[in-house]
Amino acid sequence: MYDTKRVESIVGQDDIKISARKVQVYYGDKHAIKDVDVDILDKTVTAFIGPSGCGKSTFLRCINRMNDTIPIARIEGQIKLDGEDIYDKRVDPVQLRARVGMVFQKPNPFPKSIYDNVAYGARIHGLARNKAELDEIIEKSLRGAALWNEVKDRLNEPGTGLSGGQQQRLCIARAVATSPEVLLMDEPCSALDPIATGQVEELIDQLRQEFSVVIVTHSMQQAARVSQKTAFFHLGNLVEYGDTDDIFTKPRDTRTEAYISGRIG
Amino acid sequence: MSIGLLLLIVVGLGVIGYILGRRRALASVAGDPRKLHSLPSQYGQSVFLFTVVPALLLLIVWLLAAPSVIDGQVRGTVTTDGVSQSEIDLKMADVGRISDGLGALMAANDMSEDDLTALTPGDSDLRGQLAAVGVAVGADVEPAVFEAAKHKRSLTNSAGLIRTVLILLVALAGLAYAMTRIRPDFRARNVSEAVVKALLLGSSLIAILTTVGIVLSLIFETMHFFRLYPAKDFFLSLTWNPQFRGGSDLGVWPLIWGTLYVSFIALLVAVPIGLLAAIYLAEYATKRVRSVAKPLIEILAGIPTIVYGLFALITVGPMLRDYFAQPLGLGNSSSSVMTAGLVMGIMLIPFVSSLSDDIINSVPQSMRDGSYGLGATKSESIKQVILPAALPGVVGAVLLAASRAIGETMIVVLGAGAAAKLSMNPFEAMTTVTVKIVSQLTGDTEFASPETLVAFALGLTLFVFTLGLNVLALYIVRKYREQYE
Repeated sequence: MYDTKRVESIVGQDDIKISARKVQVYYGDKHAIKDVDVDILDKTVTAFIGPSGCGKSTFLRCINRMNDTIPIARIEGQIKLDGEDIYDKRVDPVQLRARVGMVFQKPNPFPKSIYDNVAYGARIHGLARNKAELDEIIEKSLRGAALWNEVKDRLNEPGTGLSGGQQQRLCIARAVATSPEVLLMDEPCSALDPIATGQVEELIDQLRQEFSVVIVTHSMQQAARVSQKTAFFHLGNLVEYGDTDDIFTKPRDTRTEAYISGRIG
Repeated sequence: MSIGLLLLIVVGLGVIGYILGRRRALASVAGDPRKLHSLPSQYGQSVFLFTVVPALLLLIVWLLAAPSVIDGQVRGTVTTDGVSQSEIDLKMADVGRISDGLGALMAANDMSEDDLTALTPGDSDLRGQLAAVGVAVGADVEPAVFEAAKHKRSLTNSAGLIRTVLILLVALAGLAYAMTRIRPDFRARNVSEAVVKALLLGSSLIAILTTVGIVLSLIFETMHFFRLYPAKDFFLSLTWNPQFRGGSDLGVWPLIWGTLYVSFIALLVAVPIGLLAAIYLAEYATKRVRSVAKPLIEILAGIPTIVYGLFALITVGPMLRDYFAQPLGLGNSSSSVMTAGLVMGIMLIPFVSSLSDDIINSVPQSMRDGSYGLGATKSESIKQVILPAALPGVVGAVLLAASRAIGETMIVVLGAGAAAKLSMNPFEAMTTVTVKIVSQLTGDTEFASPETLVAFALGLTLFVFTLGLNVLALYIVRKYREQYE
């Protein structure tokens, strides 16, 4: 149904950041992801779209091995980050997650100050040698998440006291602070109002300058606005993958067409 | 009529009222319940409540008031001039026993009311007869007392009759009134609702009023104590040395010191072990391990404290003495603060672990995901995210354990001994406030002496301490909650 060679011809080998081959995920007896092959490019926003329960979040969580924390989940196949198999025994999932950051559906700031929230990853991975360097990382990350101007005078206040949109940008800043290579975002705007959504979308577009961003979204408009590549999942299968413009204007698969025109969903 | 039977009849009337009320409500709309304001059963409920509740309230008031009213009437007949109050009290006790005895006598010997009236205290075997039905009368019965007893008996009997009639009347009146109220637009649902609310309010009031009552009784007895013994000595003296003959030193500090010292050691044992166990259970243990380990730990909480006390007395105390205190030259006593503290600490482990485990479990999964997603390991996540988020609850658990430790008695008696001392040496015998309350109240001294009344002052001191701890706990919990949520 889906031709790997075609993808490789689309993207060109050099820019590939993550390459997945024949990935299967089982939750207990349930076959949640079936035979997914995909190549995700560096410095690009890739959107995963599809109806609820189609496996897009599950696949996203495979990329930084978050599924390891779920006891009944089982993963087969191969996912390579920069050509290195992340499910190899020698790879430490903890280190992998520092390279592949994640932002969740609901903003989940830690019960700490804004400063400590952003400093969390940097401290754990020893990215700063002294306070000045740490301050620099904090400022850079908060600026990167377009939050600096709003919070620079109250860095010691609890992160939970921010508004929903600010909290989500704080979580993005927190992920950015560990200098990841890939940023995974699992429906980052689904708990936000339209204005906050706009701010986060703008931010995603800026983040593309530095990282490869993978975003799972329910909103096709959002996928169209922020992404350059789009992958459509349906019932655990990757149905179609290509340039966002192509997917939305001339889908090749009838299921994709049905979904984007609102007939499945 | 006995109270049990009366209750049964009232409830029976209520049930009949329920059935009638429900039927009447349905009849009033020709069997179409949709036209009623409330469900048919709620009309029935309103009748039931109007039948039963006023009757029961009256019964309660009657039961509380009747004995003292009757006593007051009878007391007049035995009171003569120049007799002291305590003598009258003694006589009244006799009157009460004889009047009960007469009733028993009548039942046992199949006597009629007239036979009873004919009895006089002169009858040679009255004492014997009363003894035969299980009522022992000290000396020969005085005629005045005997007459008073008969009087009391007849009063009690007629009061019982009045009670029965009155309560049945109230129940029937309530039933009739509630029946007349049933119309399709009668808001029976609101009546049920109001009654439920009253029930809930009543329950919480009972809890509050009991606390107030206990505190007040403590305060009054403490004031009584301070009239007999100077408060200055109680709060400032450093010796605790009660004497049976009076002239005691009743300084509270040795006891408070002992209490705090034992509790401190207990918490030093219980908090780290309990907390680490909770972290293991909540974050590391597999489901199977957890389902076995958690109940096993909680069994510790079900062991009676006297068993812990025995463990302290027989095992821990001698062991500490032989392996620590004696080799280190710190003492020869097998009862010591250390013994009681250690054993009490073990007792408190399940309190800390079980509560903390629940609290750690209730930290949202999104916190863990967030931390793991940033590349934190499990222990980093626990230390830096999960425990801080769970802190208010953990503090609450610790303070609850502290309250338990301060109030614990049995382990201290058997583990730490009963000697009130101010000492830093943990291998010396000391004692706590609770132990002294027990020993002061169970002694042979007369009740109105300072040596006995000091127990209430100690109780109040303890109450103030635990209250302070609870307030502190609330304050800490609230402070952190504001910051984190």
